[in-house]
Amino acid sequence: MSALSAPAPGRARRTRAVVAGLWLIALVIFVLFPLVITDSTATTIAVYTVIFMAATTAWNIFSGYSGYLALGHAVFFGSGGYAVALAARDWHFKGGWDVFGLLPFAGVVAALIAVPVGLVALRVRRHTFVVVTIAIFFIFQLAALNLGFTGGTSGINFPIATFPPATYNNPFYYIALAILVISVLMSWSVRRSRFGLQLLAVRDDEDRALGLGVKTRRVKLIAFVLSAFPVGMLGGLYFYFLGQVYPQFAYDPLFDISLALMGFIGGIGTLVGPLLGALVLETLQQYFTQSVSGTGTYLIVYGVLFLAVILLLPRGVVPSLAMLWQRRRVRAATRAAESREPARRGDMAGVAR
Amino acid sequence: MRHFRRLAQVGAVLAAITVLAACGSSSNKSSSTSSSSGSNASSGTGGSSPITIGTSLSLSGDFAADGQAFERGYQLWVHDQNAAGGLLGHQIKLDVLSDASSPSQVVTNYQHLIGSNHDQLVFGPFSTLLTVPSARVAARYGYAFVEGAGGGPSVFGEGLHNVFDVTVPVKNGLVTWAQWVASLPASQRPKTAAYATVNDPFTQPQIPVAQAILTAAGVKTVLNKVFPAEVTDYTPIASQVAAAKPDAVVLGSVDVPTVSAFVHAFIQQHFNPKAFIATAGPDQGDAFVKAVGTGNENGIFVPNGWFGGLKKADSQKMVAEYIAKYGGTPSDVNADVAEAYSVGQAIAQAVAATHSLDNSKIIAYLHSGVTLNSVQGPVKFDSLGENTAGVTQTFQWQKGNLVESIPTTAAGASPPLFPKPAWVG
Amino acid sequence: MSATALLQAIVDGVLTGGVYALMAAGLTLIFGVMDIINIAQGAMVVLGAYLSYELETKAGIPLLPGLLITIPAMFVLGMAIEFCFMRRVRETERAAMSILVTFAVAIIIEGVLSKAFGVDYVQLHASYVDKSIYLLGFYLPWIYVIAFVLAAVLLVALYALLYRTRFGRAVRASLQNRTAADLIGVNVDRTRMIAVGIGVAITAVGGFAFGATNAFNPNSGYDLISRLLAIVILGGMGSIGGAMAAAVFMLVINDVVAVAWSPTWAPLVFFAALVLVLSVRPQGLFGRSGVRAQ
Repeated sequence: MSALSAPAPGRARRTRAVVAGLWLIALVIFVLFPLVITDSTATTIAVYTVIFMAATTAWNIFSGYSGYLALGHAVFFGSGGYAVALAARDWHFKGGWDVFGLLPFAGVVAALIAVPVGLVALRVRRHTFVVVTIAIFFIFQLAALNLGFTGGTSGINFPIATFPPATYNNPFYYIALAILVISVLMSWSVRRSRFGLQLLAVRDDEDRALGLGVKTRRVKLIAFVLSAFPVGMLGGLYFYFLGQVYPQFAYDPLFDISLALMGFIGGIGTLVGPLLGALVLETLQQYFTQSVSGTGTYLIVYGVLFLAVILLLPRGVVPSLAMLWQRRRVRAATRAAESREPARRGDMAGVAR
Repeated sequence: MRHFRRLAQVGAVLAAITVLAACGSSSNKSSSTSSSSGSNASSGTGGSSPITIGTSLSLSGDFAADGQAFERGYQLWVHDQNAAGGLLGHQIKLDVLSDASSPSQVVTNYQHLIGSNHDQLVFGPFSTLLTVPSARVAARYGYAFVEGAGGGPSVFGEGLHNVFDVTVPVKNGLVTWAQWVASLPASQRPKTAAYATVNDPFTQPQIPVAQAILTAAGVKTVLNKVFPAEVTDYTPIASQVAAAKPDAVVLGSVDVPTVSAFVHAFIQQHFNPKAFIATAGPDQGDAFVKAVGTGNENGIFVPNGWFGGLKKADSQKMVAEYIAKYGGTPSDVNADVAEAYSVGQAIAQAVAATHSLDNSKIIAYLHSGVTLNSVQGPVKFDSLGENTAGVTQTFQWQKGNLVESIPTTAAGASPPLFPKPAWVG
Repeated sequence: MSATALLQAIVDGVLTGGVYALMAAGLTLIFGVMDIINIAQGAMVVLGAYLSYELETKAGIPLLPGLLITIPAMFVLGMAIEFCFMRRVRETERAAMSILVTFAVAIIIEGVLSKAFGVDYVQLHASYVDKSIYLLGFYLPWIYVIAFVLAAVLLVALYALLYRTRFGRAVRASLQNRTAADLIGVNVDRTRMIAVGIGVAITAVGGFAFGATNAFNPNSGYDLISRLLAIVILGGMGSIGGAMAAAVFMLVINDVVAVAWSPTWAPLVFFAALVLVLSVRPQGLFGRSGVRAQ
């Protein structure tokens, strides 16, 4: 919050009310979306978009707040997918709303996997950590390819969901939205808690945090496991939507990079940033691929845009906007202070107050 | 102040992105010539409104080479069919979306083609891995899903009644070759064989079938290994094969680089098997020859439902048109082109027979046990959608050309070159 | 599994390790100098391979002499990339940002190559690619021997450059403490630019070795980069000798496991070994601990 000019209590309450109102409006828009826009292509893209918004938010709980770039969350995504597929097959689920009941199971599986993975990966720092997550990711992909029960390269098929074609996407959309709300709530409550403060301390200066008594290992591990849970559920949902899970796609390096990119463009470490980044990128990517990906041009344009945004907005959109907002508030406050005491030219405006 | 400028820059970038996306999606819509009258309208209304057939192809990404060949095949068929009057008197327009070899994209694409664009018919994408998600979308809308490149076992028997694969099912690919080897007189027959395959749903089912035939004929297995697809260095496994000094080598491969790597490793190790068959790669024509080095391709077998020199009228016509448009020789024509073309032919025959574009009627017709014709030979679908009438032939590179070789009794078959000539080096 | 098969696997591993060392050398150098993880390394290797390919097919210039053209070309490219992109990455979030920036560069390179060469697989040809030397009962393919020797020579040259010349001292100084280096008169920006240029120039040779031993297309960079990253981290980021040792170590394990157990499990053991070593020794086999490490 602004340290320069403590706003009057009334204004703070008003700002909070405005922000809450905005969130509510956004939620309503999202809930109403598939009912208003019934074009099935749009709703398909919406399903993917909401899934990625939730995944990026969950990923951000770990990578954004702790500063450790994890490029292996596909491990949780794919494992969630396999968990649901195997369970649906072996426990003879019919296909329909019942399979959604398996999603929390997928989340738990992912969280359980996150514990040993986190214990191993978090022994090392920063750069090495990134590569260790990548290595673990490949271990999972290779294991899925080779172990018998995962179906090898053919993967596993899901039961066919018998929703009517015109509104087929809606159940998936709403479940994804529910998981999104859960992820956002998780991210918000972590941010406001003492635990979140400890995480941010780790991000800013880990050694100092350690010196100040923060149990950094435990804090990082908890955040890691927390971030895995929603991603596991989302994986189960995503592959159920596609109907099939197989190794090369369940454990896909592009997924990891996408999360990082969306997080960064939106503004890593913020609450809204990942949402914005995923919203913009996933929609654009789907439309782009359809129409232009036939040639290398697609890749070139994608890469250039990517670069442009990263270099021009290294903090991401949300923090930059926040800074801009800040500036305006400060300017308004100093102008207000000046107008109140025009005689006191000598003082630096506002500070004396 | 600096931030204002920054934000302005970003605003410009985002605006550019939005404009591009808008252009992209709108130009995409226009390319599909919104065939007005919605969905499965049945026959014979005013003959001038075009029919759209939608498909999603991998024009970039892992399957790009095959995806592009498929597009050419589809386009060739559309051109020929239009010249012959189109479907039920309507000209055909092909609505192609690109999926960058991604399953999530292929789902979006078929949603777009069927749900948004309301294309009357659809063709399948390339690869088993993309066929299942996309076939499900088509099944939901009751569309027939005829395809030529999704033959892995996971496609069939999973409750999808709308899938029809015009190409011979994968697992019997090596049968004719194995039977030929088994039929050789004992003095000539290879005594040992090595089997190596990449872990892929296209190749893995073929090996045990071939192995059973050969073992029954007394050919000993000296090596049987599966190797990972993503590893770019095949030297270790190839060296192992060479070190085992088998008389026959059976390679389960899906692309040119794999076969090429084995060939080069064999040359380096001064190992030349008496017989060498690869499940895919040698069927890629010119790309294959360039990779292994001219002269080294001779003697290598590859199973296929089709090849450029096939002496069948419609096939030769298609090949001639392909060469006229893209150059090269018959051997250069990628088998994917024929697979795609066959898909079109199957649909055309079903539409003609049922006098309608109604997908449910088409599905019923295709499941009725009728035998259709295609550039790849006869097509007859069983209850799972597999083509049971197709016969895999085995081809061999001889004197720089891919020729039909086994069954030796087939018309136009050239006797197999055996033992395999030495490497050119 | 016989002793000869095992020995063959070890020999194969050592030689292939040379090829990988060549490809990884540029990566570790760039990291050592810029503190940047160059995800585009795989794409650059493929680019180098395509440059050699283009010279060989269009201009008829054989592979080894062609290197005299590709190396300077990639040197200039490396400097350009440093100047245009790497320099702009903010110091505070280097690790994460560098990954994203270099990933974008990799995508652009792949797109350009797709447009220019299409997606068909190609391979570099030379009369010696298929020939081998017969030594002690093993056939050693010429191309691997050449790559191995080239790798060793280049790495020794690099070492000499870094530790025996004034330029090398400047590089190491700006690496250890940028401000101090600035203060004593080292033009840090220029030094870094040249160092990155050298890193990418070496990759041109790696591209040649890769392209001669593998069929490749613009997509091939993806498979490569994960292994290169593993090698570089294992060897210790910034340590050239470490990259060589790690490359040989990794490839030998890979090949031995392929023979002794199964080829499908080999790459997994590769990554598992990496994770294991790093858990015990986070700075890699030859990396420096403490100050520069993380």
